[in-house]
Amino acid sequence: MIRLHDVHKDYAFGERRVTACDVGDLRIEAGEQVALVGRSGTGKTTLLHILAGILRPDRGEVEVVGARIDRMSEAARDRHRGRHIGMVYQTFNLLQPFSALENVLLGALFGRGAGGEAKSRAETLLQRVGLGDRLHHRPSELSVGQVQRVAICRALVNDPELILMDEPLGNQDRTTGVQVLDLLLQMARDGNKTVVMVTHDPESAKRMQRTVELETLRRPA
Amino acid sequence: MRLWSISLRNLRIRLVATVLTTTSIVVATALYAAILVMAGQTEQRYKGSVGGYQAVIGPKDSSQLELVLNTIFNVGEAPGLFPLRICEDLRAGRGVGRRAQVRYAIPQARGDSVSRFNFPVVATIDEMFSKFEREGAPLVFERGGAFTFSYDDLQALARELANHENGRRAGEASPPSRPQLRKEWKQAVIGARVARSLALDIGGIVVPVHGKMGEFGFHEHPEAACEVVGILAPTNSPLDSTIFLPLGTHLLIDGHEQGVFLVETPPGKNPDDAKKLPVEPGGIGLTAIVVDPKDHFGARFLRQEFSAKDAQVAWPQDVVPKFLRQLGNAADALTVIAWLVLFVAAVAIAVALYNTMNERRREIAIMRSLGARRVQILAIIAGEAAVLSFVGALLGVALCHLAAFVLRDLVEDMTGVYLDWLQWRAWEAWLVVGVTAIGATAGLLPAVKGSMTQVADNLAQNY
Repeated sequence: MIRLHDVHKDYAFGERRVTACDVGDLRIEAGEQVALVGRSGTGKTTLLHILAGILRPDRGEVEVVGARIDRMSEAARDRHRGRHIGMVYQTFNLLQPFSALENVLLGALFGRGAGGEAKSRAETLLQRVGLGDRLHHRPSELSVGQVQRVAICRALVNDPELILMDEPLGNQDRTTGVQVLDLLLQMARDGNKTVVMVTHDPESAKRMQRTVELETLRRPA
Repeated sequence: MRLWSISLRNLRIRLVATVLTTTSIVVATALYAAILVMAGQTEQRYKGSVGGYQAVIGPKDSSQLELVLNTIFNVGEAPGLFPLRICEDLRAGRGVGRRAQVRYAIPQARGDSVSRFNFPVVATIDEMFSKFEREGAPLVFERGGAFTFSYDDLQALARELANHENGRRAGEASPPSRPQLRKEWKQAVIGARVARSLALDIGGIVVPVHGKMGEFGFHEHPEAACEVVGILAPTNSPLDSTIFLPLGTHLLIDGHEQGVFLVETPPGKNPDDAKKLPVEPGGIGLTAIVVDPKDHFGARFLRQEFSAKDAQVAWPQDVVPKFLRQLGNAADALTVIAWLVLFVAAVAIAVALYNTMNERRREIAIMRSLGARRVQILAIIAGEAAVLSFVGALLGVALCHLAAFVLRDLVEDMTGVYLDWLQWRAWEAWLVVGVTAIGATAGLLPAVKGSMTQVADNLAQNY
């Protein structure tokens, strides 16, 4: 499902270059649920963005859902991300002017298409997470837990093979957050989806099948 | 959900900016459309209205354009008077009309008007409705028919008036009495717009006003109140705004006595002396004669040989195109202004959208993270500009038609051009397409900026 080899990403700050991500080898099999953990600044989010195809590594091989995305054009990576990858962010990243249903359909629009079939799939997903009566509510009219569930539905609407999560329990009510996270993991297991979550929270990491310390992936200097 | 629905939603969110930007497009499009409509209708009106007017004879001291504008288009004041004798010569094939064989020569006199709309009164003879042809056919009556005042009636009246006037000037104790305004001459034929505006029907009464209502020296002529006997079918020409009265009525209106006869002041004499000189029936003053030569040769002779010291012949087919060329230059200048306004409106779209790009970076980054390609982001933002422009252009064209509806009478009174507000033209569709394309193009700059948004940087921001 995921194979990384010798992946390196630097950021330039004027004359100075800072290594944001340095991974020797990493393999994640299909259906696995993996937590990537590490201290702040170890490049967790950068790695997640590389896996999503949002960032391109300066060097290295990145194979995600059977495709070498490091060799792809930006447009091809965008298309690949839309079709094969669902993403859940710490801040959920819902668009405020759109309703819960429309936010989920946005995921479909840029993925496999937002036609009538996508709409019924989006409604089904929202009903499954208990938001059947909140389809037309805007994010500002929903609780944090409900917003998180909408974000999960948006990640799942294209029936992606891979789900990437960035600190999904961020700074919210833990009880609610954990419940929603468990819901997502259950849904992922039901669909045999691969889940990669970056977090610095050991509690969240425990819920995954495998935990990978980012520091251990660094190539020896 | 579609890309354009995102564009629409974004416009709705920024409603005030959307309305203001759209307004600038509406105004620019309406201005542009109005200029084209006005120029087109002017050309159509002036070209279309000259049908029937082969030649117009008028006083020599006016310009040909002045003569044509007043006689055919009801624009401006009657430029002066010249004697009926010219008309007699033309009709009898003598003098100035010796070789200029004419099918008809219809005398006209203007100067009065009716109602606050100042509909011009044209005093003429019944041949205006039996012989005059517009686009190859006589004028059609929607209701009623022509009044009865023939050329023979005019000649007889001219003789009676001359006898009376000569007796008066000679200081006779009991000069022949001044002819009375006969009841059967107190009749009027009115154009379609006159009937509509004044809610007149057959049997209605029109009261001529000397000059124009509201102007210095105007006064009503209740003694010449005429009954409407005919209403012309709409012609979409200045005829629709015209009131036709018998020339006899015009000549016998109180106060017209002094201006009825033209007498040349002999060399070395005071103009007051001319008031004592004898008059001739042919000296009755007209403002125009509408002439139709019999054939090509008649027209050629009229063109080459018409020569009178107090009258000239104007050819609308020559005068109007020259006039339109001059108008066209003015329209071109206005068109440039309209383009500038349109350009400013396009810039307003670009600026309005560009200024939102910073606050929309996160929204764009989120869409990109969901798989939106740069070109899709570009399409969404350019689509917003296109929607703004399209709606603005549609409303602008609609506003132009609304303005034409509201101002049509005013414009017709001022320029003689009737704005047909219901007429839709093919170029209006192209204008909408063009403005939309210009707007969408203006949206490209902010669209490119939006599409270049860095995804990772902007997703990381915690709002």
